[in-house]
Amino acid sequence: MPLFKTSAEWYEQSSLLLKARPTTARITSKYTVLKPTASKISKRQKYLSKHPKPKISSTGSPPPSTSAAVQDPTEPVVTFKLKTYDPVSGACLQYQTAKAAEVGRLVGSLGRLGRCMAALPEVVEETSVAAAVDAGAGVGVAAPMVEKDVKLVAPVVEQKAGGGGKKKKKGKK
Amino acid sequence: MPGEHMSNDEFFAKLTNLFELNRKKGHGSVYLTQKRMTIPPDTDGSSPAKVLDDPLWDTHPENPLPIIVRANNNKSSKQPGTDREDVNKIKISTLVQPDQLDAFYVRYAEVCKAGMSGLKKRDKKKKKKEKKKKKGGEGEAKG
Repeated sequence: MPLFKTSAEWYEQSSLLLKARPTTARITSKYTVLKPTASKISKRQKYLSKHPKPKISSTGSPPPSTSAAVQDPTEPVVTFKLKTYDPVSGACLQYQTAKAAEVGRLVGSLGRLGRCMAALPEVVEETSVAAAVDAGAGVGVAAPMVEKDVKLVAPVVEQKAGGGGKKKKKGKK
Repeated sequence: MPGEHMSNDEFFAKLTNLFELNRKKGHGSVYLTQKRMTIPPDTDGSSPAKVLDDPLWDTHPENPLPIIVRANNNKSSKQPGTDREDVNKIKISTLVQPDQLDAFYVRYAEVCKAGMSGLKKRDKKKKKKEKKKKKGGEGEAKG
């Protein structure tokens, strides 16, 4: 059960898992606020008293980010955790963050993964597939193979995208 | 169980309430789950696609399928020594049709961003101060 360090990595692996098992895999995101217990607070206070914040004026450099996390001993711990879980294979891919700035992006990637679940073509791939078909058309051998693959996944949109792309190219030539 | 799902609008309203409840309590979790809806709500539960003799039948369905989005919190009972109230488990769910997916997730992101308070915000002030200091230091050095 890997806990990924970057959200991009998590997204990539999750999309692969969803492609392999689109019906059984699910994504659970957990937003949690934990008030520290009394013992946790006393531990934090001990830690703070043992490791006093270095004064900015003396060193000239800001304190390391680790000390900023425990500024207030009674502050709740807030996390946002994403899990992609497939009960059949037992794969569970995780990513955790505490940054508010990431929430919007993560929910956006949830949306993109939702397209995988709904068996809609991916937005990014749509254009690249069209480009691939265009490029392959000149080569001849590669083109039918690409088209076959795409038809299996998404027959409707491929035709639209591919057709549009081809027309544009022809116009340019 | 077709009767259980609510419309997307209602879902967002209730999800906002759920986050608000969590904020008031100051402790607790909100779970959000999304999953493909394989069994159409109007059939008796037997999936026709499975009849196909293809082990990868689910990787290329004929039509795009709706996805189900669920949200819930945990039941919390009053603990001695705390001022927490009893809260029952709240479960909400909605079906998102494939053509509404993008619009749904735009709103979903907004609701989540607004609801998930307490996460660490970007420390802009610190960075600005650092920059100013660096600039000041350079100026002094040059002068």
